[in-house]
Amino acid sequence: MRNIGNIDVRGLTLGFRNFGRTNAVVEDFSFKFDGGSFTSIIGSSGCGKSTLLNAIGGHYKPLAGQILLDGCEIKEPTASLGIVFQQHTLFPWKTVMENVRFGPMQRGVSKVRANAVAAKYIEMVGLAGYGDYYPKMLSGGMQHRAEIARALANAPAVLLMDEPFGALDAQMRASLQSSLLDIWKETHVTIIFVTHDVEEAMYLSERIVVMSRDRGRICEVFALDEPFPRNKDKLFASEGGRDLKEKCIGCLAS
Amino acid sequence: MDEIMAGVTQRGQGQAVSAAPEGGHQGAPTRDRGAAWFLRIVRKPRWTALLASAASLVAGVGLWQWLTESHVHLILDFSNIPTPVAVFEAFRVVVVTNAFWRDIYWSMYRIIVAFGLATVVGVSAGIAMGYSAILRLVIAPYVEMLRPIPAIAWVPMAILVWPTTEESIISITFLGAVFPIVLNTWEGVRRVPRELVKAARSLGANRLNVLFHVVVPYAIPSITVGMALGMGGAWFALLAGEMISGRFGIGYFTWESYQLIQYGNIIVGMLTIGFLSSVSTGSIYYLKRKLVPWAE
Ligand SMILES: Nc1ncnc2c1ncn2[C@@H]1O[C@H](COP(=O)(O)OP(=O)(O)OP(=O)(O)O)[C@@H](O)[C@H]1O
Ligand SMILES: [Mg+2]
Repeated sequence: MRNIGNIDVRGLTLGFRNFGRTNAVVEDFSFKFDGGSFTSIIGSSGCGKSTLLNAIGGHYKPLAGQILLDGCEIKEPTASLGIVFQQHTLFPWKTVMENVRFGPMQRGVSKVRANAVAAKYIEMVGLAGYGDYYPKMLSGGMQHRAEIARALANAPAVLLMDEPFGALDAQMRASLQSSLLDIWKETHVTIIFVTHDVEEAMYLSERIVVMSRDRGRICEVFALDEPFPRNKDKLFASEGGRDLKEKCIGCLAS
Repeated sequence: MDEIMAGVTQRGQGQAVSAAPEGGHQGAPTRDRGAAWFLRIVRKPRWTALLASAASLVAGVGLWQWLTESHVHLILDFSNIPTPVAVFEAFRVVVVTNAFWRDIYWSMYRIIVAFGLATVVGVSAGIAMGYSAILRLVIAPYVEMLRPIPAIAWVPMAILVWPTTEESIISITFLGAVFPIVLNTWEGVRRVPRELVKAARSLGANRLNVLFHVVVPYAIPSITVGMALGMGGAWFALLAGEMISGRFGIGYFTWESYQLIQYGNIIVGMLTIGFLSSVSTGSIYYLKRKLVPWAE
């Protein structure tokens, strides 16, 4: 356990006001994401994964409970809580380069340094040569990759990723998965990773949290001890792997 | 057929102040079609389009010549209207006079001052209303109350309030331009997607930087539409002001021509007004294309 990037969710209740009524989406959710850990959250569509992630990012005010970042309550978004949103959120009026260097420049990093950092991550997500493109000139998957680069370039203590690889082809997905693991190993950033894909969760994470449709209750938490780097074929073929996958899918179905 | 449509809308774009904001891009698809052989096919209808419009104009001028020459008086009275040839003669005479250019200078000067002020005030007020709930409550009642009053209705008040007619004309022109700018800016700011603001906040931007990096850029297309509408309003109000209380200015020129029974100059004045107004609105659209290469 590291001393930065610890997320402690305590008795969290989240909800939206719809037509004057408040419905709780997530109720009494408690979980500790240790600093430097990699946790995946899976759950069926509409169970409140994005809502939870946004709340951790400081975008929603809890109806009850609290979320602590290293012991301090999260009251508003900060640069330490980086998010890759489920929707496209590149700034259309900024080029890929300007988008990616936006975070560092907001922190007061010089333009030259910010450009260097941005170029590194743009290359990492396979967009080298597209730095001068505006988002509308990129495909959907390319936009998503640029967004990932933008979040990474800001070197957050916690990285919240909402189905970041959902829109990508298998090859690109595999390449970005291994890049993400490299970055995680290098920077010890705390990663909370929302996905629909059980295999992806198993390949990447140390723990898998399965959320239920019933007010976002935690259904089950699975720990994976398999050391990194993992071998996909071996992982899914092994007894334990098959077992875990079945359990996860069973949990999702219930 | 659609080539003809595209050609015509493009040319008409300058005057069509209330045309769709995307009006400036209607010609674009033709250019994108690329391949040279295809262009050759496309170019032919384009010539036809030009020809059709030219023929229509010639016919119109011919009709005008005939109506005025033969002094038709059928509900409309054409007997006092100068023929196109006479108008051209009047233009040739007037275009070399200092007075004509002085009038154009004064109108343009008033437009630039009043429209510049209206842009600064309108954009600031619109952003303030869109970004701060309190400022909206303070500003909105004035906008809602004053907006429906046509700029011309301000003429008597303006003359009473301002020390000179010059200032009153500029203030009327300002009022003609400012409301579309306020409303369109406000609208643009209000429609900023929450997700973009959230993304900027998560990247460490404070409220002020969100304003400059997200809210204002997002609103720029909408602001330019407001400016184009405001430019139309500005010319409308300017002409009213100049005709009623002006000294110098192209509106004054036109009205004076009527009073001095120089009927050819009336039409010269009208055409000049149309030309100037369309050039100034066109320059706003030009500015928009320069300013927002990312939008399409
Ligand atoms: N802005 C909003 N206003 C009102 N209700 C909302 C809003 N956003 C989400 N909800 C509701 O909250 C619930 C959870 O939504 P959320 O986006 O968190 O689901 P999710 O688990 O991320 O689903 P998916 O896997 O499809 O992305 C849904 O029932 C949805 O109707
Ligand atoms: Mg979601």
